[in-house]
Amino acid sequence: MRTNLAQVANGRSVRIVGGKLDAEVTGWIEAVGLGEGVEVTVLRRAAFGGPLHVRTGSGGEFAVAKEVALLLEVEE
Amino acid sequence: MSAAPSCHVDAPTAVVASGDVRVALVGRPNSGKSSLYNRLTGGNARVGNYPGITVDVLEGEVTLPSGAKAIIADLPGLYSIEATVSADTDEGVARGFLDAFGKDERVVVVQVIDPTRLALGLRLTAELVRRKIPMVVALTHADVMRAEGRTVDVARLSEAVGVPVVLLSARDAAAPSALFAAIDDRLRSEAAEPVAFDAAKLARDVLSLSSDEVATKRRALTERLDAVLLHPVVGPFLFLGTMALVFAAVFLVADPVTTLFDALLARAKDGLEGAFGKGLVSSFLSDGLLGGAGTVLAFMPQIVILTIALELLEASGYLARGAFLVDRVLRLLGLSGRSFLPLLMGNACAIPAISATRVVRDPKERLTTILVIPLMTCSARLPTYGLVLAAFFSSKSPLYRAGIFVGLYFASILATGLASFVIRRTATKGKGLPLVLELPSYRVPQASVIARKAWQAARRFLRDVGTNILAVSAVLWVLLTVPMPGSQSAPGEPEIDASIAGSIGRTIEPLTRPAGFDWKIDIGLIGSFGAREVMVATMGVVYGVDGAEDDSAPLAQKLREARKPDGSLAYTPRTGLALLAFFLLACQCMSTVAAIKRETKSWRWPAFVLGYTYFLGYAAAVAIYQIGGILGLG
Repeated sequence: MRTNLAQVANGRSVRIVGGKLDAEVTGWIEAVGLGEGVEVTVLRRAAFGGPLHVRTGSGGEFAVAKEVALLLEVEE
Repeated sequence: MSAAPSCHVDAPTAVVASGDVRVALVGRPNSGKSSLYNRLTGGNARVGNYPGITVDVLEGEVTLPSGAKAIIADLPGLYSIEATVSADTDEGVARGFLDAFGKDERVVVVQVIDPTRLALGLRLTAELVRRKIPMVVALTHADVMRAEGRTVDVARLSEAVGVPVVLLSARDAAAPSALFAAIDDRLRSEAAEPVAFDAAKLARDVLSLSSDEVATKRRALTERLDAVLLHPVVGPFLFLGTMALVFAAVFLVADPVTTLFDALLARAKDGLEGAFGKGLVSSFLSDGLLGGAGTVLAFMPQIVILTIALELLEASGYLARGAFLVDRVLRLLGLSGRSFLPLLMGNACAIPAISATRVVRDPKERLTTILVIPLMTCSARLPTYGLVLAAFFSSKSPLYRAGIFVGLYFASILATGLASFVIRRTATKGKGLPLVLELPSYRVPQASVIARKAWQAARRFLRDVGTNILAVSAVLWVLLTVPMPGSQSAPGEPEIDASIAGSIGRTIEPLTRPAGFDWKIDIGLIGSFGAREVMVATMGVVYGVDGAEDDSAPLAQKLREARKPDGSLAYTPRTGLALLAFFLLACQCMSTVAAIKRETKSWRWPAFVLGYTYFLGYAAAVAIYQIGGILGLG
């Protein structure tokens, strides 16, 4: 099922399949390690709509702002 | 031979001395680069001279097994050499260096990779290989890999990426010899043709787990720590509590050291007076120059201790988690969690805080952070706050005074927040980059690395700020001491009355009277234009109180008893509140102005900061004094 990363419940794993971010941000987050094809598990969320704490399949952990998560398309 | 000519207008143009080899350590933030640098160079570091690069690039000289001398340069953290990045950030600096030197045949790039996050590091490897940059890969944290029961097939990895790969631990004394041998080999061999590889797949292929149990245990520990430290409710409280502890520790530890420096300087001043008598020369040397040196030394312990505390938190992996916790609040102000560290440092001293904004990747957010840092309550405000509280609120209970003090801190945070909110929507408006931040694994910090960073911070402060403070101190001595031509002090008034500053003070008095400031306070404000902590000593001179900076009680007494010509009290509590508001907001710190100029590479933004903070300070002082009068407050 396709959705965006911000909709994924804590503890669920999904794969990044695309995004609606502009090219600059896409290039940057790909370089950081959150590019297309990467598997991510949502671990937790900060309070009051703060960032998501995610772990990637390769072991990296990231804080991802909700604004970015909303624009990252993922698939379960 | 000299470095390769640069095709970039702004690129650095340092020179590699004949016969020298330059080794540049590059890698993602938190890859273990700093620890490795320390191990390779034995902690020796000098600041490299790279025209065009304003950030300190540390260098240390070593001898390779071949006998060649190599200069190891520790570049700032870097994620990618292909993604768009502003040249002023840490990443931009590292990239500028690679653009300028990456093709030089006497330069070897050592890419440091944390093998526990191998796939992430190999993305950058792929980019460097594509650029045909002569390189060696150093996999750090061999000890952590062992502890986690993980192995990496180094030979297979090396073959797949087409460059030498070394697995080592920065905690191991034998680490340098293995890496230096690989660098020597790299210098002797021809560069292989670049090979393409899939970073994630390659990482999966070369990594293996020898013990599931150990790895699971370690991960469980991280998860248990995160469950508490990143808890949506408990986490922020723990974080704020930790920060409060850090600041309490900074003041508790720094205070006795500062007192010791003061005592030493007092002796030096006595010595000067003994040697030169009490004339102008002695006054210039002791008040102008030694006074400036005293200001520099007074900050040094705080800067060193704060750097140690923050580096410990950073190296342990906790500070990045703090950014995660507070990101939401900062987003409301137009900033992100990345700005948290610089803003926090601003509570000690704006100068290192302004340098620390290089961790902020978004140029507009970075600029906003730089512009609002001067509003944070730096430690230089504290002596003046102390004097004002003692002079104008001595009749109030200690609890009342403590309340004002805490209120000042909150007011400063509020002012910073509001200024950021407004500036981000006006002067620096535009789309920003939201937070995407790597959360490093929890690690035990290495004492030698922390010590080097503290030393580096102290040296940078001395070099960049100390010289400014000394210069401003000398200029202010002239303003406060040299008589205005044709001017003579009134009988019973101190000589400063006839000084250039005294004359300016009287001239601007009509402007500052709505805020309750008379010409004597104006002299204090002129004296503290360069460095706000000078206010106490200047007011001491105005009121003829010797050594007010060491013990402000007699000066506070004089201020309480000061009378206007009509016999009424010169100052009331509302004068005190107005003065506190002015000191809270106005950027009375030439060193901060110099630091903003250095970071923004223009005079426009330092002028903007001076303009808006002085306007706010004046407006707040007038508003408080006038409203206080309407409310019948003294």
